[in-house]
Amino acid sequence: MMLQLAGALCAIALGTTEPATVESTVIFADAIYTSTGSVIENGAVTVVDGKITAITPGKTPGDDDVHVGAITAGMIDLSARLVRGPDTVEQTQEITPEMRVEHAIDWFDAEWGRQAESGVTTVLLSPQDQNVVSGLSVAVKTAGVPELVKRAVKRDACLRGAMGRQPSNGNHPAFRRPTDFFSRRPTTRMGVEWEWRKAFYDAAQARAAGEEATAGARGILDVLDGKRPLMIQAWATQDIRTAVFFKEEMAMEGFGELTLILDAAAEAWREPELLVRSKAAIILPPLPDFGRADDGAFMALSTAKKLVEAGVPVALSSHGAKADRDRLAMQGALARRGGLSLEEALAAVTITPAQMIGIADRVGSLEVGKDADLALWNGEPFQATSRVVGTVIDGVLLVDPRNQ
Amino acid sequence: MILSTIVTASLALTGAFEGPATEGAPLPAPTPTAEESVLQPISVERAVAFKAKRVFFGDGNHVDDGIVLVQDGVIHSVGADVAVPEGVAIVELDGMLSPGLIASHSYEGLGAEHADSTRPTMPEADIAMAFQPHHVDFAKTLAAGVTSVVLAPSSATLIPGTTAVVKTSGGKVVRRPAQLQVVLSNDALNWNSFPTSHAGAMAELDRLFSEPTGQIARATSGNLPVLLSADDRSDISRAVSFAGRYRLRGAIYGSMWAEDLIDQIAKSGLGVVCNPFDVGEDSRGMRAVVGLAKRGVRLGFGLDAPNRDPENLRFGAALCIRGGLDSKLALKAMCSDAASIAGVERRIGRLERGLDADMVLWSGDPTELTSSVVAVYVDGTLVHGGGE
Amino acid sequence: MRIVASRLATAGLAMAALAVGSTSASAAATEMSPPATAAPQDDASADEVAEESAPVHVLVKASRLIVRPGEELENTSVLITDGRIISIGAELEAPEGATVVEGAVVCAGFIDPWSALGMEEASRVDRGAGPATKASDGWSPYADEHLREEALRAGVTTIHLQGGSTAALGGLGALVRIGPSLGDEALVLSDVCLSATVGLSADGGFWGGVRAVDPFDRMQQIDRIAQNLGSGQSYSESWAKYESEIVEWEKAIAEKEEELEKDFKKAKKDREKDIEKAEEKGKEYKEKRYKEDRKPRRPKVDRDKAVLARVANGEIPLVVEAHRASEIRGLLDAIEAFKRVRLVIAGGTEAKSQAERLAERGVTVIVWPALLGSSRYDEYETHDLSLAGELAEAGVKVLIGSGGREAAATRDLPLLAASLVGHGLDRDVAFGALTIDAARALDVADRLGSVELGKDGELIVLTGDPLASATRVQYVISAGRVVVTPED
Repeated sequence: MMLQLAGALCAIALGTTEPATVESTVIFADAIYTSTGSVIENGAVTVVDGKITAITPGKTPGDDDVHVGAITAGMIDLSARLVRGPDTVEQTQEITPEMRVEHAIDWFDAEWGRQAESGVTTVLLSPQDQNVVSGLSVAVKTAGVPELVKRAVKRDACLRGAMGRQPSNGNHPAFRRPTDFFSRRPTTRMGVEWEWRKAFYDAAQARAAGEEATAGARGILDVLDGKRPLMIQAWATQDIRTAVFFKEEMAMEGFGELTLILDAAAEAWREPELLVRSKAAIILPPLPDFGRADDGAFMALSTAKKLVEAGVPVALSSHGAKADRDRLAMQGALARRGGLSLEEALAAVTITPAQMIGIADRVGSLEVGKDADLALWNGEPFQATSRVVGTVIDGVLLVDPRNQ
Repeated sequence: MILSTIVTASLALTGAFEGPATEGAPLPAPTPTAEESVLQPISVERAVAFKAKRVFFGDGNHVDDGIVLVQDGVIHSVGADVAVPEGVAIVELDGMLSPGLIASHSYEGLGAEHADSTRPTMPEADIAMAFQPHHVDFAKTLAAGVTSVVLAPSSATLIPGTTAVVKTSGGKVVRRPAQLQVVLSNDALNWNSFPTSHAGAMAELDRLFSEPTGQIARATSGNLPVLLSADDRSDISRAVSFAGRYRLRGAIYGSMWAEDLIDQIAKSGLGVVCNPFDVGEDSRGMRAVVGLAKRGVRLGFGLDAPNRDPENLRFGAALCIRGGLDSKLALKAMCSDAASIAGVERRIGRLERGLDADMVLWSGDPTELTSSVVAVYVDGTLVHGGGE
Repeated sequence: MRIVASRLATAGLAMAALAVGSTSASAAATEMSPPATAAPQDDASADEVAEESAPVHVLVKASRLIVRPGEELENTSVLITDGRIISIGAELEAPEGATVVEGAVVCAGFIDPWSALGMEEASRVDRGAGPATKASDGWSPYADEHLREEALRAGVTTIHLQGGSTAALGGLGALVRIGPSLGDEALVLSDVCLSATVGLSADGGFWGGVRAVDPFDRMQQIDRIAQNLGSGQSYSESWAKYESEIVEWEKAIAEKEEELEKDFKKAKKDREKDIEKAEEKGKEYKEKRYKEDRKPRRPKVDRDKAVLARVANGEIPLVVEAHRASEIRGLLDAIEAFKRVRLVIAGGTEAKSQAERLAERGVTVIVWPALLGSSRYDEYETHDLSLAGELAEAGVKVLIGSGGREAAATRDLPLLAASLVGHGLDRDVAFGALTIDAARALDVADRLGSVELGKDGELIVLTGDPLASATRVQYVISAGRVVVTPED
């Protein structure tokens, strides 16, 4: 707030202020789900200058007003794919903690529009999981000015890595002369774990020895010091176990306390007590056809329910899939079908993911003072018969339900 | 000196670059050059006056029945009312004179030498070492009315080297290095060597530019303009923010997708060199040029001869004119803007006191494709056509 | 519908009846009357249609009307009714309900005689094409929509499409209007010419599908063209022979019948007498054999040869893409024996050395100002922009085409023509190449190519000289309607 005032004064002093327009919008709904545990019937959300200024019950809409079945906070997808393919991950080495995916963002991809239309207002972009530790992720809004500084909700939100088979894909053993730099370790799951340990041990031991940290080592030390969470892709049970044991090992060795988020943890339902013990948060991929997800993992309809019952923080995600069925609105409906209540499903796509990556001060629920990111539904959210008919991002009505 | 520091500092605070003249502003008058003080007095034996039906100055303005007074290959004076001293030969030209055209990105005389992909960054690689001065490519380009080209390394690696401005007659190097070329498109990425990603490329650039040496230091101190190769919109936006981060001046090479980023480019102060236009070019490219010109962004046209016919330079300009570009601005892009982008505005690109006498005599307006090259002069000497 | 009367119908109307491959079933010459709006319909519905549709008028007012190259009128108006120019004059009144447009310069819409716009790529290079294959079957009036719009806004209203560029003979070319939503009226002619290409083959190569062939194959290709022309000629001769023989045979039959009619009884008696005589002699009576049993045998109908026959007789031109001097020379030699063949060479990069022969033989050359650099995969020399001017000076009829490869290139035809003017082509010749000369070469000069009474109203309204870079097209009138209006 002080910073904003100072900035405004500066702008006035240098004669470069833009004309101050106060955008005020009111959106009416039969039900407002705030993600804070309360539901407001027949209410309205007032938005001024990109922020929520009021949520009022008992307001009657006029004929021209925007009036929808339900309003929820804009949904948050922690595992989207809005950056292009192999050129988003620096493959010359397997451990690249200093690389930032924000340099590879294509602001003009048509996918942004589709995400916004589907009700997703904030996404976390990560490098592709071809590396063991691939780099730093960034959380951005799905619409607005095509500039990183204006769109970012949190830069360097977390450090991304993967366990399992995917990082070793493409590498081949160098029995003869190496033909290219893919003739290297790791070539198996074991190799991937070895790389993890080596990177973290080296960084921690170098610090203990008093050596100057390289850019990569700094990235690792930051997660050990708890500056940001460590997000690890781990589909199958053995990978989830490895991730949890890895965290415990780091703690035992005295290197530091990792904050763990497991992405695409499809088999997390098998050993929830492990997750509770390690305080890990889980991101679930979309429900796969025939139950089988990547890396041989098995995910059932009731997975989300089981985890919520066990007290594990759960977020739903599309894991980069683009079909309508795989997006958050539908995944929330499937999770309800699997046993979650409406509130639990709503939390899994709004406040829980926001809390996981530390952006809950700005987004994730409908509260006065937070960013005006709203998803407008034509009925009760997360029902097969309902869909998102409008979206508001930073107070701008991007998709107008009246045009649907 | 102190005042300018304060001005620069306050600009830094607002984080804005002073953009060039915006839409509607009159074209700026020609600026006097440093060489003015060293111009010799007119000697009857060495001076020649050229008189033409119309003389285009190269900055968008022209004068009818103009005279260009030349001595020792340098323009002494230009205008409608130039006083030609007694005894100086007057050559009456039947046609229109313009400055020799400048192609802002080309590969004449380079053969296979324009790409060295042994290392991802080679800022000290100098393209002026790689061209054959008397290669037949130059003669073909000269015949199309192009008297100078910006020879560039091709966009095969992250920093392929520096460009050079070369005259198409006699192989004279006007300036080297002219620009530091940095490639921000997918061309800089590899599948089996560093860098494989934009993140890796940007990390390397940040490493080199935050502790700069050699040519990179000259670029960050503002002494060497940059040429940032970009293909699509995300490349262009990355280029604009990269240039802003290190306060680089120069131009973006790659206009095809610039239409959506005209605002950002105009605010950054960077110029734009257009990819060469082909027959049947997507109209998106022309719209970008028209939009950039309206905002006063300096423009240049790429040629990439001998992969393209040298006629392509004016053909591209004509495509843009058909798309709505003012023909004055089209000629300016091939003359004074191109020179300014390459940092050689004190030598070529305008018919003006103190600049080299590189001129082309056309049968009509040079932006009309129906006009043909009648004669070409480089450094005041007739080097093509004009046979009677 | 094909207007046969305008062709060099040296073989007579009978030939048209044998052209089984053409669209016109009954090929009678049609007059210059106000046309039907669509393909021929049965009488019953024709009356209905005539009643329902009132005439559609467009009045075009020009400060400068270019009738044809070198012929201009000032402050003149043109009235187009139902797609035909029915009036040109200084003070024309706009009929009720007419659309009125006004502009600085008005001229005939440009014709691209070598285009690929709207042509399906597979058909364009189809190796399996034959003489009777039609390019119009590989063309879609809905394809390349925004490219067609751009070309229209550049002033090109009609294009000629060819298919089968890697086959021995590519098939019948199509003349097509590129305006939007023209429906049936988009196809002007489906059998403009027979096309062929020398120098390309379908065998892959790095550039995918089409590559240049070696010199021996090229000569073989030209030989094959000559052979095909020969077989076309003999087909036409055998049919002509059959036609005259059958006429004679029918005459003989008719005479015989007449005889029988005259004196049936006498003939009957004579026959009975003969039978008696034979029986007396103990011989068998041989019936008189009439010519009826010796009916001339009808030659087999061959659609491919029928098309070749039309080419051999000069009814439709033969358009061959050839670039090297040796190929052009080979073609000229090959058609020495076929005096009536009308040859058009597309490309002709090295035609300058053969200019005299080309002029002598009356060969038209479609120049392709490609602006290509030196890194093309074809072996032949880069395209010299002064070719058109030099050929025109030598007396060769020159047209300007966009190359028949890139659909988007048609839009740039006027600018390419301007480039040629800048390299020595006379301005009026260039304008003629885009309009009346192209129409003439494709046998549609009675309908297109200039602003004259009775022709189709295919006009463009421009802000200035048609070949200037700064000129914009404001209106385009095609198939009797304004299909392009200025963008704001």
